[in-house]
Formats: sequence, C-alpha cells, structure tokens
Amino acid sequence: MTAAIETKELTKWYGHHARGIIDVDLVVEAGQIFGFLGPNGAGKSTTIRLLLDLIRPTSGSARVLGLDVRRDRLEIDRRTSYVPGELSLYSDLTGRQLLTYLGNLQGKVDADYREKLIERLELDPAKKIKSMSRGNKQKVGLVAAFMIRPDLLILDEPTAGLDPFVQLEFEHLCEEVRTDGRTVFISSHQLPEVEHLCDRVGIIREGRLLAVEAISTLKERALRKLEIDFGGPVKAEAFANLPGVRDLSINGQVLSCTVMGSVDALVKAASRFEVVNLRSMETSLEEIFLAYYGTGDDAAKEAGHAAA
Amino acid sequence: MLLRNVFTKTVRDLRWPTFWISLGMAGMTGYFAVLFPTYSKIFNISDMLKKMGDAGKLFGVTGDATTLAGFLHIELFSMILPALMVVLVAGMASGFTAGEESRGTIDILLSYPISRRRMVLEKVLAVTLAAFAAAIAVWVFGLLGAAASATALPADNLAAALLMLVLLGLAFGAVALAIAAATGNRAASIGAAVGLLVVMYLVDAVSNIVDGLRTVQPLSLFHYYMGGDPLRNGVSLADAGVLSAVAIVFLAVALIAFERRDLAA
Repeated sequence: MTAAIETKELTKWYGHHARGIIDVDLVVEAGQIFGFLGPNGAGKSTTIRLLLDLIRPTSGSARVLGLDVRRDRLEIDRRTSYVPGELSLYSDLTGRQLLTYLGNLQGKVDADYREKLIERLELDPAKKIKSMSRGNKQKVGLVAAFMIRPDLLILDEPTAGLDPFVQLEFEHLCEEVRTDGRTVFISSHQLPEVEHLCDRVGIIREGRLLAVEAISTLKERALRKLEIDFGGPVKAEAFANLPGVRDLSINGQVLSCTVMGSVDALVKAASRFEVVNLRSMETSLEEIFLAYYGTGDDAAKEAGHAAA
Repeated sequence: MLLRNVFTKTVRDLRWPTFWISLGMAGMTGYFAVLFPTYSKIFNISDMLKKMGDAGKLFGVTGDATTLAGFLHIELFSMILPALMVVLVAGMASGFTAGEESRGTIDILLSYPISRRRMVLEKVLAVTLAAFAAAIAVWVFGLLGAAASATALPADNLAAALLMLVLLGLAFGAVALAIAAATGNRAASIGAAVGLLVVMYLVDAVSNIVDGLRTVQPLSLFHYYMGGDPLRNGVSLADAGVLSAVAIVFLAVALIAFERRDLAA
C-alpha cells in the first residue's frame, strides 16, 4: 500500500540561526491518524508547507499519496485538504460564501455532507468571517477540509481555539476518516491534545525528526511526576530501588519522585503507610524529549533558559 | 455567481474600487465635454496656452485646445486619467500575490487544485476587464457630454486614446505585479510602480522642452501612450505594440518569479 506521506532526507535550510528542517525521513502509512509533535518552532509548519509545495526544499524529496509534491501538485491538491496553523480566510465573505467558493475551487462537493458538518460543528455560516472568533474561523476551516472527503487531511494545530464540545466532534470526524481508510495528519505542540486520537506520533525538535512511535509505546515510556502526602513520617529506605522510580526525595511527610511507565511498584510500597493524598502530574512533551531522545545538555540548558 | 473561480472572485473583489475610479474618470470627462463650449467662450484657451509656453508643456499642455479632443488631451489624458488608471491597475495587481500572501490566504487558496500560474492569470484577466470597464465608462460619458453640448468628438479617436490608456495602465500594472510576485512586498511594488510613473512622466514632459533629452524620451512609456496623438490620429500600432510588449514581458517575469519562490507563511 502506498504511504500517505513519505519524505526522504527532506531539508529546508534557512541559515544557521533560522528554523528549518534537516534530513527528515518520515513515513505516514495510509489509514491512520498521525500526530506530528514538537514544540513551537521545531519545524512542523515548515515540513507541512514543504508537503504543500508552498515552499521548496533545499534538498531531499517528498511524496504525498505516492505522488511527487512538485510535479503532481494538482492531483495531490484534488485529493488532500489542508487547514493552516495561522488560518486566514477571506474576511469579507460569510462562512457559507467561503465554503461555496472553496467548494467550487475543489470541483464537486457533497452539499448534504457539508450541511451535516456545519451542524455537527455548530457553525453559524451566515456570519461574516471578520466578525468570527478564532474558534469559529477554525470551524469554517475544518468544514472546508472535511467536506471534500479527501484521501489525506493535513491539519496544522487544528484544535487551537476550539471549545471542548467541538473538539470532541472533531475527534469523531477524524475517527470516521480513519474508518474509511483515509488518513489524517495532525500537528500539535501538546501531546495530551492528540494522544487519545492518534495511532502513531512523530516527534520533531529543532528541525530533526527524533522518533516515530506508536502512541502506546510512547505512553509506556512517558514520565509522571508523583507526589504522595503521608499521614506520618516515612523512611526513604522503604522506597529504595523501586523499578521505574527516579529522582526520589522525601521531605517530611511528602514524597516526590518521577516514574517511568507503571506506577504499580511505587503504589504498593506506599500502601504500607497511611496515604493522605496522591498527586500525579503528566509530564510535558518537552520533558519526554529531554528524557528519551538524548537531546542532551544543550536542550536542557535551553529549556532552563526559556523557563528563567 | 461570483464565487465560481479565482477570476470571478477577483471581479467581485475589484467591483467597488473599479466602480468608483471609473465613475471619477468618466465623470470628469463628461463634465469637461459638457462645459467645453462655455469654457472656450469665456477663456481664449489657445491664447492662454501660448502664454504658458514651455512651462505648459511640463503639465502635458501640448497641441491644440480649440477642439474638444484637443482640450480633453490637455486637461485629462496628459496627466489625470493615466494617474488614475495606473493607480487602479497597479494597485490591484500588487495585491494579487503580495496581498494574498500578507493576509495569509494564499496558503488556503493554493492548497486547492489551482496552479500558481493559473491563479495569477485569472486575476490578471479580471484586472484587464476592470481597466476596460473604466475606459468604456469614460468613452460613454465623454460622448454623452459631447452630445449634450453639441460639440464634435470623434468616437473612434476617443476609443483609440482610451485603448492607449488601458495599455499604459496594463504596462505599469505588469511592472507592479512582477515586483509583488518576486518579493511578496505589496508596498514596495505599488511604490515602485508609482515612482516609475512619475519619473517616466517627467522624462517625457521635459524631453518636449529640452532638446538634449530627446534621445532618452523613448525610455518613457508616456512617449508611446500619447506620443502619436491618438485623439487626433487614432491608434498607432507601433506604440500600442510597445506598451503591450512591456505588459507581456513583465507578466512573464511575474509568472516565472512567482512560480520559483518560497511563499511567505
């Protein structure tokens, strides 16, 4: 089966101090929801704009739906849809006029399906784009993207500004696309936003693709920060050498540590004492990068610098 | 249905600016045509022009003001109409690529099955239509005004002058488009087109006075626009050919530059 997206050593070089991407080898199989994760400025939008031929690579190549992004541009455009991260729409049109225009540019659009999408995302299409909130503009972009039933949807930070109900409906729509055997490619800088939706994720940082993992694998390796409040003093020895537990410290009646994978061993050790409260904090994507992908001291320093 | 394609959408976007600029151009023309007999009675125009001498030539005052055609040439075709036409065409053309880019709408537009080249060509077609619409409005108002004041105004020569006006606008529009397409900078492209217009106007006007400048006069597009006096002599195919060639060459430059470039995010 042809991959939905395949890049080979894809590189966009903007000079030493600018954000580009370097030697990105990415394969996204058809029929899945793929998350493209990385902090802001990591190269997500650059990669996406290369796939859309809005910018041209310095070196390397990319294929979408088995087609060359440059040579077979119009065929790709007919079979894909795209919602940019910084979504700008013709502000003097109403939502409905814009959907009509974009539908006409595409060719044929199933009007019934379009109306169903408008209903499901609770979009008011009579409003002018310029008077819409960010979330409502985003809905217009999503209706436009889904209404043509593309083989591949490329969505750059699609959930920004959506309220929780719409976000849920959006997730259902993505799942329907997957059920049809079509593909969704979503970029995000927040793992929690996409982790329950995606089958696989690719992680990009500073222009380099660090890893592509099944979401289940990533979760197993995810770090949690745990804090346990005890009813009385506890001894550090009771928690020594627990599998997956690190950075353990005990401050009076409060234990804090970092756990990788299962918390089972820690919870069983803690159960010997009176547990008053237990707080679990999912670590950020940033910390997962730092912990697992060997981005090393530079990255840590940078993160510290950014925090300070 | 003006939301069918890029061409009709552009027509839709341009309809009001085109309407107002056309109304301004046509209104002035009609006004001068209606009032021409009164003017020529009150003022002895030819005498005034003679007194102005070379200074008058700087403001496009050349030729014969005793006919309505000559009067329109001096009052409108030498300066005001070309300025308005260039603002109309170059202003719109600079927005085609650079405007969509700076607003960020180009990412969406080009993700649909439309090539960059087709996008530009459909928009160019729309602005060409706008330029002709303005010219037709001037033609109709001019002839109506002339009829109202029972003054002779040859319809074919007026049409010829307006064709030259359209071609001048398209030539400057193509320059603006090429700069916008190559740089993505709308302000620079309008600025360059208007700056070029002023320089070329002055080169042409001063060349009429200073003999030493005659050799550079052919560098000014104004030389081809009114040089053949189309209001009296009709279209000069050579002049029309030069203006068309400039427009086509810069359009080609715009298409090539736009095709090769990374578009702004």
